[in-house]
Amino acid sequence: MNPQARTFELPERFRTLTTVFAVIGGAGLLLGAVLAPERAWLNLLLGGHYLLGLALGALFFLAITYVSGAGWCVVLRRVPEALTGTLPVGTLIMVAALLIGVSGLFPWLELTGGAEHHDVGFKTVWFGVPFFLARAAICLVIWLGFARAIIANSRKQDEDGDDDHTRNNIKLSAGFLVLFALSVSVASFDWVMSLEPDWYSTIFAIYYFSGIFVNALATILVLLVWLRWRGILVDMVTEEHLHDLGKLLFGFTTFWMYIWFSQYMLIWYANLSEEVVYFVKRTSGAWEPLFLANMVVNWVVPFFFLLSRGAKRNERVLFRVGVVLMIGHWLDLYIMIFPSFSPTTPPFGLWEVAGALGTIGILFLAFAWQFGKAEYFPKRDPFLAESRHHHQ
Amino acid sequence: MSQRYLLGTFEREEDIVGVVKKVRELNYKIVDVYTPYAVHGLERTAGFAPSRLPWVCFALGLFGALFKVWFEFWTTASDWAINVGGKPWNSLPAYVPITFEVMVLFAGLSTVFAFFWSSRLFPGKKPIMPDIRVTNDRFVLVLEQEDSTFDVAKVQRIFKRFNTVKVEERQEGGQG
Repeated sequence: MNPQARTFELPERFRTLTTVFAVIGGAGLLLGAVLAPERAWLNLLLGGHYLLGLALGALFFLAITYVSGAGWCVVLRRVPEALTGTLPVGTLIMVAALLIGVSGLFPWLELTGGAEHHDVGFKTVWFGVPFFLARAAICLVIWLGFARAIIANSRKQDEDGDDDHTRNNIKLSAGFLVLFALSVSVASFDWVMSLEPDWYSTIFAIYYFSGIFVNALATILVLLVWLRWRGILVDMVTEEHLHDLGKLLFGFTTFWMYIWFSQYMLIWYANLSEEVVYFVKRTSGAWEPLFLANMVVNWVVPFFFLLSRGAKRNERVLFRVGVVLMIGHWLDLYIMIFPSFSPTTPPFGLWEVAGALGTIGILFLAFAWQFGKAEYFPKRDPFLAESRHHHQ
Repeated sequence: MSQRYLLGTFEREEDIVGVVKKVRELNYKIVDVYTPYAVHGLERTAGFAPSRLPWVCFALGLFGALFKVWFEFWTTASDWAINVGGKPWNSLPAYVPITFEVMVLFAGLSTVFAFFWSSRLFPGKKPIMPDIRVTNDRFVLVLEQEDSTFDVAKVQRIFKRFNTVKVEERQEGGQG
């Protein structure tokens, strides 16, 4: 009854282009390691956060849809699954960034314990290098384990059609969601917030999470529409599915803005010197236009373009808004990471271009590698029929 | 002048979808279709125009937000300026949460009241039911008899083809 499923290969020209991007990124950052080690490291860290966050956001999407018993997304599930499958790639880059970081670049390595530091006793314990790396290892192992198990179950179901794989994935997803909340908090505190060791914000983990989930939804939509334009999943994924993804994207961009503002307003209101440093840097000098652009790109644009029903059902609108948000997430991470090292001017040059190109190239290559490992849709999922008849 | 209606009652989803498609092809005026549950795609088959309620929601939400920003500015910075923690009087970030709440309030309430208005709904209104069983297991199609060319017998024959269980004529203002 179902149309024949097939496996995927990246078009020849596109493969060449993305490989060139990835090579430029790799070569650029290697050159940077010699000429401008700090800048190259920051770009490596940014790329790691981007790719790792994307895979985690996609895994979070899989987990919430499994736990909530969602049937609608089954036809398009192989796209977030393939993105989740790129987790080892993001992990490799992040591990490299962390190891280089602890060998001399993380600013907290010089935390001396002067009286001006807040809570310094706790921070000297927390920022011991072995403890730091152990936490990172625990987080990464948790994510890799769950990602591997959930994808493996889904792909095994293609072969044996056993409904137990779905049941197992529901259980795995429930466990993952709990551990994800804890581990992503630790990871965002350790790998982003620690770049400003004197500063802290207890809502930072949610802010980080909202960014990665928006980016995951945007990327899922962009890849899905791109695949449909290449004739893949055209008759499976209808505008009803796109509409639901569009609604999620619309909702979560507003969630991002809400969390962004929650963090900003409390710090602005309390006006404590150890808290405001973060925003003082980001609103001074040439950072301020970027600080404002961040809100426009990540919230104003998607809000007004996705507000109407017609827009959420139009794949061209979704594709464009998705691309804007993918760039927006890069900008968001850039504003989180770079001002701690360059407080007055946003650095942009060869290293940033190399980092961004490399990230795009690796993203597409890794996605194609994973998307090619299975059929276009889970052909024996018990919810497949429900998903094919999905209707608002 | 009273308006005359023709009501056809059906027992199955396929029949109601089929008959709606057929009468629409023949350009009869569909007043409404009653179903015990949401039949997906029926509103498109029947050719109902999309709801205009989102526009009410958007316009009143926007109005609520703008009104609240102005009101907060007027109260805290203009009419009775109060110094809060040394912040400037016209501190926009402090307005945002209340602006958001009022926008949601205006958008939500206005949509509900616009819905009541457009569907002539008010407390204590006696419902006009085409058939009490549309809340249980029956489907009813209501056609308007626009003018004298409306051939009741012909429409009845169409209804028959889709296994109608009851055909009934009604007049507006009569026994509803």
